[in-house]
Amino acid sequence: MSSLPKRIIKETERLVSDPVPGITAEPHDDNLRYFEVTIEGPQQSPYENGVFDLELFLPDDYPMEAPKVRFLTKIYHPNIDRLGRICLDVLKTNWSPALQIRTVLLSIQALLASPNPNDPLANDVAEDWIKDESSAIDKAKQWTQLYAQPKK
Amino acid sequence: MGNVPTKLEEPQNPSSRLKSSSFSNSVSGNSDITDSPGSGNGRSSSQTKLNNARSKKKNASLSNGLLKSTTISSRKKDQLDREQFKEDHAAELLVKYYESVDGGFLAPFGCYSLEKLNYNPKIVKKLIIERKLAPFYTPLQDFNDNWTDEELIKIIDGLPLHASFNESLEEFEDIPTGDLKSKDFDYLIDSSSLSKREQKKLHSKIFKARLHKKRIAWQEMENTYFLEKKLSNKNILSKSKDSSEDMNNHISNSSNDILNNIDISLPNDDLKLSLYQSGIECPICFLYYPKNLNYSKCCQQPICTECFVQIKRALPHFPHDDNEHNNEDDSEKDPHLLISEPANCPYCATPNFTISYSPIASRKTGINGVKQFYYKPPKANDDANLSNNTAKPVYLTSDTIRPDWEDKLNKERSRLQRRAANATAIHVSNQLISPGRSENNEIPSNLKELENQMIEQAIKLSLQDRKQNESGSRKKSSK
Repeated sequence: MSSLPKRIIKETERLVSDPVPGITAEPHDDNLRYFEVTIEGPQQSPYENGVFDLELFLPDDYPMEAPKVRFLTKIYHPNIDRLGRICLDVLKTNWSPALQIRTVLLSIQALLASPNPNDPLANDVAEDWIKDESSAIDKAKQWTQLYAQPKK
Repeated sequence: MGNVPTKLEEPQNPSSRLKSSSFSNSVSGNSDITDSPGSGNGRSSSQTKLNNARSKKKNASLSNGLLKSTTISSRKKDQLDREQFKEDHAAELLVKYYESVDGGFLAPFGCYSLEKLNYNPKIVKKLIIERKLAPFYTPLQDFNDNWTDEELIKIIDGLPLHASFNESLEEFEDIPTGDLKSKDFDYLIDSSSLSKREQKKLHSKIFKARLHKKRIAWQEMENTYFLEKKLSNKNILSKSKDSSEDMNNHISNSSNDILNNIDISLPNDDLKLSLYQSGIECPICFLYYPKNLNYSKCCQQPICTECFVQIKRALPHFPHDDNEHNNEDDSEKDPHLLISEPANCPYCATPNFTISYSPIASRKTGINGVKQFYYKPPKANDDANLSNNTAKPVYLTSDTIRPDWEDKLNKERSRLQRRAANATAIHVSNQLISPGRSENNEIPSNLKELENQMIEQAIKLSLQDRKQNESGSRKKSSK
């Protein structure tokens, strides 16, 4: 209890030893519950070639409580709002303690590949998406170029 | 600290608060569930003294309680009852080495904090003793197939009884706790400068901080006791090994000296190996346990008991509640619509998570079984011994170990009901003094009547709620 739970230590080790393609997650030096995350935009999605920064925090009750994840990079997506908050079932009601940092980040990557405007968090984006999907996708591509370029 | 724990206020026998005859059914002193260690004087005489001191204290506090109850107000008594309940609960969660079942224990190792252990410990202990739920095994942090038997035994021998505690929680940083030996701590609260409300708040903070410290001290007493016994066994066995080489094979032939002094409630090396030789990782806490854990009914995935007792129903909420957006207008909804669904399987999301456990017959040790020191591994081709699959599996859910879940839901419903009634009452009284009517000092009699009705209704609901709470806690204590 005083120290970091074994589960968090092992998850961190396994993220390093067996990384997920297109995803990085590194714990912060002075808070091992706080991770700096990057996710590459999936191919054939409007976010292709973009690299998105996120922050992930494991609350005290993790894994009985879901990790808190937020986009730091601006993104045009019907399920992600201006503050970077993500509308994803596994982060809320469908969280299960058998899920992991790894699976959560994969779910977020999958959300980028298939936006769901019918269950929106960013209402304005979702409206655009439903009204005129192709121009919404263009805008998402533009934002990806503007804000999600890999740092060199 | 050693064997002088009487210095600190002992965890009180949970049933001592009840006047019933269930007195003997205690956790700390009961011989039929306690695996009384040692043959003859296996358990030191200081422990017997301690038990005597315990029961004396119990009697004293019982009569004290009866005397006091006539003088103190019922609200104060409610508070004391609640505090006693919490203290009893914490005392039930202590790991004691002599309370073992099939190589595990009756209380959790401590991967999750005390506040999160809100299951009914009496029910869980009973299920473990009846071999319907896997015991709380002590976990290995890591496991390596390449370890030799000697290495594995060395690691097992080094395992603590309970995870280490965080002694200085930020939450309790500036909270005085006074003398833990004395029951009264009201002197820590400055009644002259604080309001009644502030006093109450401080009282509850001090109580929590004291309970935190007490629980650590209680568990440390058990740890010390466990360590002493383990060391003394080790010394006796190594001495006897020098004199007779094949100690492990011929226990019956070994000297009386050994049998009289060894604590036979501690496991022998065969049992340690049988338990941990082929461990598995619990997919939730990532710790290593003996292979026969609990398994989910739907998808046959393992789950350790410590993680299983963490899984529970959703908190009471309204259906299709996003719980982010519309918390404010809860008061507008019908409280009867509040729901609390059973947990899904963490692995395959099948609704109503259910587990079962099949004990290994040859490993029936501890309470209602062979003394752990006398465990004998089954012969290689003795299939009947491997698992008693003939027994019908018993299925358990999170409701089995939390029978009060419905009480809690109803409590939340009536809390919302009361809040709604209060809101209406405030609304009505606001209307009565609204500016439009201010010229007219005479309040129309029908409005006055309405106000009275609303207030009456609010009082009635609050009384109902109180009654419900009381009957709820009475039900609990009679169990």
